[in-house]
Amino acid sequence: MTNNILSGQFSCKNLVSIIFTAFLLLLNVFSMAENVHFQDPDPRISLNVSKIPVTEVLRRINKLAKVDFAYGSDVLSSSDRVTINVKDEKLSVVLKMILEPLNLQFSIGDNLIIIEAVRPRNKLPAAKASISPDQQEIPIKGTVTDQKGLPLPGVSVKLKGSSIATTTTSDGRYSLLLPDGSGTLIFTFMGYLVQEIAVAGRAVADVAMKEQSQELTEVVVTALGIKRDKKSLAYAVSEISGSEFTQARENNVANALTGKVAGVNATGLSTGPGGSSRVIIRGNGSLNGSNQPLYVINGMPMDNSTPGGSATSNGGSDGTGNVDRGDGISGINPDDIESISVLKGGTAAALYGARAANGVILITTKKGRAQKGVGIDFNSTFNVDRVIVSPDWQYEYGQGTDGTKPVTQSQALASGRRSFGARIDGSSFIAADGLSHTYAAVKDNVKDFYKTGTSFTNTLAFTGGNDNLTYRFSGSNLSSNSILPNSTYNRKTANLSLNGKVGSRVSFEALAQYNVENARNRPTAGDALGNPNWTPLLVANTTDVDWLKPGFNAGGNEIPWNDASIATNGYFVVNKFRQKDTKNRFIGQAGLTFQLVKNLTAKATVSRDFYNYDYEYILPSGTLYTPNGQYAALKADNAETNGLLTLNYSGKITDDFTLNALAGGNQQRSVYNLLSTTGRNFTIPYFYSTTNLSTIASVPTNNRTAINSLFASADLGFRSYLFLTLTGRQDWFSTLSPENNHLFYPSIGGSFVLSDAFALPKVISFAKIRASWAQVGGGAPDPYQINLGYTSQPSSGQPIQNVTSTTISNRNLQPYTSTTTEAGIEAKLLNNRLGVDLTFYNRKTTNDIVYTAISGTTGFNNVILNVGELDNRGVEALFTGTPAKTKNFSWNVSYNVSYNKNTVQKLSEGLNQIQMASSVNSYAFINNIVGQSYGSIVGTRMQKDASGNTVFNATTGLPVTTGLEVLGKGVAPWTMGISNDFRFKDFTLSILVDGKFGNKIFSLMDVYATRLGLNKMTLPGRDGGLTVTGVTQSGAPYTRFIPVSGLQSYYDNYKSYTDLFVYNAGFVKLRQIILSYALPVKKIAAVQSAAISLVARNLLTIYKQTDNFDPEQSFTNSSSQGFESIGLPRTRTIGLNLMVKF
Amino acid sequence: MKRQFSPIILVFLLCFALSGCDKGFEEMNTNPNASPLVNPAFTFTKAELDGAANAMVLLQGTMQYTTSYNDVAGFGAKYVLSQRSSSYLAFTNAYPKEINEIISVINTIKDDPAQVNLLSASRIWKAYIFSRLTDLYGDIPYTQAGKGYTDAIYKPVYDTQQSIYADLFKELEEAALAFDAARATFGQADLIYGGNTTQWKKFAYSLMLRQAMRMTKVDPAAAELWAKKAIAGGLILDNADIAKVNGYVVTGQDINKNPLALNMLNSDYIQANGNSNTEGGKFQDVFINSLKANKDPRLAVLSVVYINGRPDTSAAIQKGMSAMLGSKPSDFVTYSEPNQRTILQLNSPYLLLTNAEMNFLLAEAALRGWYTGNSAAALYENGITAAMQQWTLFGPAGIITPNQISTYIRYHKLPVSGTVAAQLEQIYNEFWVGVYPNSQEVFATYRRTGFPALVPNNYVGNATGGKIFRRMEYPMTEQNLNAENYKAAVARQGPDDFLTRMWWDK
Repeated sequence: MTNNILSGQFSCKNLVSIIFTAFLLLLNVFSMAENVHFQDPDPRISLNVSKIPVTEVLRRINKLAKVDFAYGSDVLSSSDRVTINVKDEKLSVVLKMILEPLNLQFSIGDNLIIIEAVRPRNKLPAAKASISPDQQEIPIKGTVTDQKGLPLPGVSVKLKGSSIATTTTSDGRYSLLLPDGSGTLIFTFMGYLVQEIAVAGRAVADVAMKEQSQELTEVVVTALGIKRDKKSLAYAVSEISGSEFTQARENNVANALTGKVAGVNATGLSTGPGGSSRVIIRGNGSLNGSNQPLYVINGMPMDNSTPGGSATSNGGSDGTGNVDRGDGISGINPDDIESISVLKGGTAAALYGARAANGVILITTKKGRAQKGVGIDFNSTFNVDRVIVSPDWQYEYGQGTDGTKPVTQSQALASGRRSFGARIDGSSFIAADGLSHTYAAVKDNVKDFYKTGTSFTNTLAFTGGNDNLTYRFSGSNLSSNSILPNSTYNRKTANLSLNGKVGSRVSFEALAQYNVENARNRPTAGDALGNPNWTPLLVANTTDVDWLKPGFNAGGNEIPWNDASIATNGYFVVNKFRQKDTKNRFIGQAGLTFQLVKNLTAKATVSRDFYNYDYEYILPSGTLYTPNGQYAALKADNAETNGLLTLNYSGKITDDFTLNALAGGNQQRSVYNLLSTTGRNFTIPYFYSTTNLSTIASVPTNNRTAINSLFASADLGFRSYLFLTLTGRQDWFSTLSPENNHLFYPSIGGSFVLSDAFALPKVISFAKIRASWAQVGGGAPDPYQINLGYTSQPSSGQPIQNVTSTTISNRNLQPYTSTTTEAGIEAKLLNNRLGVDLTFYNRKTTNDIVYTAISGTTGFNNVILNVGELDNRGVEALFTGTPAKTKNFSWNVSYNVSYNKNTVQKLSEGLNQIQMASSVNSYAFINNIVGQSYGSIVGTRMQKDASGNTVFNATTGLPVTTGLEVLGKGVAPWTMGISNDFRFKDFTLSILVDGKFGNKIFSLMDVYATRLGLNKMTLPGRDGGLTVTGVTQSGAPYTRFIPVSGLQSYYDNYKSYTDLFVYNAGFVKLRQIILSYALPVKKIAAVQSAAISLVARNLLTIYKQTDNFDPEQSFTNSSSQGFESIGLPRTRTIGLNLMVKF
Repeated sequence: MKRQFSPIILVFLLCFALSGCDKGFEEMNTNPNASPLVNPAFTFTKAELDGAANAMVLLQGTMQYTTSYNDVAGFGAKYVLSQRSSSYLAFTNAYPKEINEIISVINTIKDDPAQVNLLSASRIWKAYIFSRLTDLYGDIPYTQAGKGYTDAIYKPVYDTQQSIYADLFKELEEAALAFDAARATFGQADLIYGGNTTQWKKFAYSLMLRQAMRMTKVDPAAAELWAKKAIAGGLILDNADIAKVNGYVVTGQDINKNPLALNMLNSDYIQANGNSNTEGGKFQDVFINSLKANKDPRLAVLSVVYINGRPDTSAAIQKGMSAMLGSKPSDFVTYSEPNQRTILQLNSPYLLLTNAEMNFLLAEAALRGWYTGNSAAALYENGITAAMQQWTLFGPAGIITPNQISTYIRYHKLPVSGTVAAQLEQIYNEFWVGVYPNSQEVFATYRRTGFPALVPNNYVGNATGGKIFRRMEYPMTEQNLNAENYKAAVARQGPDDFLTRMWWDK
C-alpha cells in the first residue's frame, strides 16, 4: 500500500482507505523520527555549564528548547554567572534553579518566557542585551496604564524584530535601551489588545492598553467543525445554543430556527408530528436542486433526504405522492445538540463543496466531560396541540342545492358538501345520515374532527470520564399523537459520544446514533381521495361532522357523505385507511487527530449516515371510489459515506502574523436504492397483503453518486485586527461525463476590526467590517442524466420497453457555479449594550443545471441543460440591545430582519418559464419565470376592461378568463424575528415574535369552498338571484340575471379565476414563549440544578390576511411553495418542560 | 521537521491530481436498471398498446352515448369548461409515449433492408397515431415531432392538417407497397396482426380510405383520388381482418388490459351495482332511446340496469340518463349502464378499424359514384351485419344471431329512393351505433357529414353556448413551452377553443 502511494499509481476508488493509509504512514514517519522536539510548553532539557554568564546560558536554552526570553535591560547582568548540571529535567525546574539565586522570577507565556526581578534592583541599567558595544544606545521609557489610567504591571514590552524586551514594573513603568531612535515597540498583556507604538525618536512613550471586549473572544464553530474567533471571520455566521431547542420543543429541530436568524427562512410543515421542515438561507439558489442547506453534524455531512421524495402538490392517488414522510433533520434529538451554527455565505461553505451552495447548518452534539462520578441529565417535555384556525365560512344559507334544503337522504347525499340551500332558519332537514336534524349552522366541525394532539419526550443522558476518555450517552423517546385521530409518531434515539486521548499526540472522537422512527397514518394533502381533511373542512355548513361517524358500515365499507365518491369520508380514512412507516437510521462517525509537530495536526474522519425505510399505504377494500382497494409501498435504503483527511497548521509566522492553514481531501459516496411497489384490487376483500393483489408492479431505482474533492484554506491574521481567508477546492463529480466532471473554485475574504486598529470614540466598544467573495460549484444532483436508456416495463403479455426517462439526457453537462459577494459591518455600542450587525450579499448562480420543461411534442417532457441563471440579493440586519442589566433583573432584546430579492435571470434560449408544480386540477401553477422571483404563483384572472368592468363572454354568460399571469411570489422576501429575554432572579421569560412578508398563497380549499357554496364570496344572489353586469368582449354593456338555481354553476365557474383565491401570505406570529423557573435545589445534594418551564409555540397570530387557513399552511418541503392544499390544519402547542441535572 | 512530512503530503496530493480523481465514475454513473439500446420489437409492442390506449373517452359523452350528473372532466356530454383539461390529454400522452416509441423503432431499423416489414408496420402505425391526433386538434407538430433527442428540436413547428394528410397518404402508400412476404416480421410482438403482412396492407389501405373520406367537404377531388387508390389496394372487408389490438388479459398489469374497458371500469363502473358509480356515469338517454326505438338487438349486448344489484338486460327496463342533471338523481340506480360482460370485459380486443366502418364508408363512396363494386344498399347492409357480428369478439354475451341481424336489417333498409342526404343520414345513424365504442370516429364523421344529427345538450353554464365540440384544445403547456409555433398554428387555424373548425371541417 505504501509503495502504491509513493509510486502514484493508486486510484481514487477508495479515498477512505487512502486516508487511512496516509494516516498510518504519517504515524510511522513520526514515530521513527527520533529526538523530535515536540512543542511542549515545559519541555525537558539537559544542560551542563559552569560559571557561564546568565545571558549566555539563556541563549543556550533558547537553542535547546526553542523558547524566547524577554527581560528588561535592568534585570539581567552579564556579570551574574551560572553553574548547573541537569539531565532531562523540565525547563521550568531548570529556570528556577538558574534564576532564583539571582533573585529573579519568570513566567511562561505562549512561546515567550518573561523574566523579571522579584524586587526591582536598585541599581540603574548597565546591562545590555544583544547590542554590539560600539553602537550608540538610546534609552526610552514610559508608563503603561489601562483604559482608566491605572498603571499596569507585568506588561511585556518588546522592540519589534529584535530580542530587546522588558516588562513593566509594579507601578507600570518600563525602560529600554534601543539601538537607535527608530522601530516599533510592541506591548502585550493578557486580556488586552496588543498595542504598537512607533518610537520615532521619542525618549518617553506612554501607552494606554485597551481591554479586549468579550465579543472579541467569542468562539464559533465554522466549516469542518473548526472553532474560530468570531471577529476573524469574513462572513456572517450565527450560532444558536442547544437550549433554544429543548424547552419550547419542535419535534423537528429545523422548525425551531424560524424567526431566529436573519436570512434564514425556516418553515415547519403543517403535516403533524414527524413532519419535515423547509429551510432556505438567502433565497432559493438553484432552479433544480432542493435549495435546502447542507446539514453537518460535528463536521461531517448528514443526510436530509425525504424517503421517496417530497410531497408533491398534486400527487396521484397511489398513496405515495401527497404524504410528507419526514426528512433527515427530523431524526435528530434536540437534547443531543450543544449548538447550531448557521453558515450563510459561500465563503463559509466553500470547504463543504457543492452541497453547501445553499448554506450550511452545523450541528455540534454534546460531548462528555471529565468529572468525578457520572453526570445525569434528565429532560422531559409534555406538549399539547390544538388547531389554530377554523375556516370562516358563510352561515346564512345551509346545505342543499338551488336554494332548497334536503328533505330526503338521497338529496342530503347529493348535496353533502354543498351549501347552496335555503336560508338557515332552525327548521329541520334530513341529513346525510338519513335522520332529521335542525337546519342550523355548525361552526365547530374542525374542532370536533381534530382532537387534541400530544407529544411526550423524555431524554436521559449520562456524561462522565477522565482526562483520557470522556463519554456521553443519551437515550430518548418521543411519543406523539397527531390532532388527526389514529395518526401517531414515535421516535427513539440513542446517541453515544466518545472523546479521548491515546498518548500525548493522538486524540480521537467517535459518535454513534441509532434512531427508530415509527409513524402511522401520516396525513395527506391535495386531492380528495383518502385525504381526511376534506370532510371536516368542506362538509356542508349545516351538517355536523359527527353525523358521518364512524365512516364505515357493518361490512366495513365506506358510508357516503356526498355525491362525489372521490371525496372520501374523513372518518373512513382515519379508521380504515392504513399507512405505516418505519425508519431505522444509523449515524456513525470516527475521527483521529494526530499532533505531528507543534502547530500541525492531521485529522482523519470517516462518517456514514445510513437509513432503511419501509413505507406501506393501503387504500382499503370498500372505499367508494376504489372499491377493490389499492396498495403502495416504498422500500428505501439510503447511505451517505464521507472520508475526510485534513492537515491543519495553526501558529505564528512572525510576531505580527498568525496563520491557520488547512489542506485535505474528501471522498463522498451516496447510495439511494428505492423499490416502489404499487398494486390494485385486493382479490379477497379486506385482506391486505401483496400476495392478494390482482395487479402489482415494482419499479426499482438504484442511484449511486460520488464526489471526490481536494481543498485547502488559509486564514491569515495580522495583529489581531486584520484577517484574510483564502480557500480553494477542486471537485470531481460522478454524475457528469469525464470531460466535464471537475471544477475548481476559490474564495477570498477579509475582516478588519476597526476598534482594535484605531482609537474610536468611547461610545463604540467594537467595530468590524468584513467582505468576501466566494464561488461554489456543483454537479448534476441526479445520476444517469448524461446517457439515454431504455427500460422494460412490467407486462402481463409480450415484453414491452420504452425510454427510461422523459428527460432528454445531456452528455455535455457541466458543473454549475454559485458566486456570493458579501460585505458586512458589526458594531457594539455603549459598552456592548447595543449591537448592530449588517450584511449585504449578492449570490449569483450561473450555468445552473435546469430540468427545462419542453413541449411534449419533442417526444420528451424535459431536457437537462446548463443554462439557468439566478440572482439573490439581500440585506440582513441584526440589532441587539440590553435595556436593563442589574444583579436581579436583565432584559435582552434581539431583532433580526432580512430581505432577499430573488430574480430568475435566464432559463434557456427562447424559454421564459418553467413549471415546477401545479395544483389539484391545475387551478394554479408555480413557475419560474425570467425576470420574476423564484417560485412565482401563476394563474388566470377574471378579465376586466380599462374601467374595471368585468368582461363577459356573451355566449356562455361567464366572465372571460385571462391567460396565465403572475399572481405573486411563493416565497417570502421579508423575514423577521424579535426576541425578548427577561431574567428576574430565578425566573426567565423569553418571547419570540416573528413574521414573513411579501409572499402570496393560493388556496385550493377556498376554490372548493367557493364551488361548494361555503365561501362568503358565494353569498350575493342567494336571495332571489344575482344580476351581473359588465361588458361583452366587444365592449358593449352586458347584463345577465342568474336565478338562484343557476348560482351553483355560476360560482362553480369561479375556479377558472385563480386570482380570486390568491391571498397575501404575510403574517406576524407570537411564535414562542418560554417561562422558566430555576428550582432552588442547592440544598439537595444529589441534584446540581433543575428548572421547570412553561412553553408555548405558535401561540397567537397577530396579523394575517387569510381568513380560512393559516398562512403557513405548507404541506411539502419541496421547492414548490405557495399552495394551500387542504392539508392538516396548523396547530398551537402548549407544554411543560422539566430539566434536572444530577 | 518540515522536510519529513512535506514530500508525503505532496505525494498524497499529486496522486490525487495525476491518477484522476474520477476513476470508476463512468461505471458508477450507468443506470443498472436501463439498457442503452432500443429493442425494436419490445418498443413496437409498447407503441401499439400506448397508441390504442390513447382514446378520447370524453367523446363518449359528446357523441351522446354516456353522461354523468357530475360536470367533472372526462364527461363530454355537457360541453363544460372543465373538459379542457381532458381535451388535451390525447395530445399530451401521444408524443412522449407512442410517438416517441414508434419513432425510436423506425430510427433503429430504417436502414436495414432485412427489416422492411417491421419498418412498414411501424410506418403504418405511426400514420394511424398521427391521423387520430390531427383529427382531434387540427394542425399539430408532425415533421419535427419526436426529434428532441436526435435533432435537439425542442420547439417543433405545427404542420398544417392539409400537409399532414398529404404525408399520411404518402406514408401509407409507400409502406403498403414495401411489404415483402419473404422477410421477417414483428411476429408475436405485433399484437394487431401477429406480423401478417397481408393484413397490414389491408389496414394501410383501409386507413387510407378513412382519411380520404375525411376530405369530402374540403377537397372532394383529393378524397376521390385517395379513396379509389385505397379501394384498389384492398380493404378490410371481413371481420377476420379487423384491425384490433389483441392479447389483453383480465388480471395482470393495467397496460395489458383493454384500455377502454379499464378506463370505464376505473372511472365509474367498477362497483357493478348501478348505484355507486364513482363519477356518476350512465348511458345517455339519446343512445338508449335510439336503441330501444329501433328494437336494436345490441341493446341487450351493451346495456344493463341493476335490479337489486343484479344486471338485467331486458329491453323494457333500459333507460338512459339525461345530460342535463347537475346532481345525483334519487332514481340513479334505475338508469342503464355498460354491460360488464361485453364492453367492460378487460380481455376483449380493442377495435381500431373495422369491417363495418369500411362498408359504411364504401356505401358513401358508392353513393358518390367513386365505387361501383357493390351497391350502397348492399354495402350499408354489410356494414350493419359486420357491426352486429363483431360483438362476438367480446364473448358469448355479445353474440347476435343471424336471424336478429336479418330482422333488424329488414326494418332498417337504406332509403334508396330518397335523397342522397337521407341515405347518408341513414348510413351514419347506423355508423353511430355500428362503430360504437369508437366515439372518435363517430365524432369525425359527425363533423364531416352532420350525421347523426345529434341535438346538443344545453347544460347550464356550458362553455360552448350549447354547441357540440368541433375540436379538442391544445395543452396549455404548449402556450408556455412552444409559444411561437402554437401562436402560428392558432393564427392559421383559428382560436384554440372547442368550436374552431379544422381544415377538413370548414
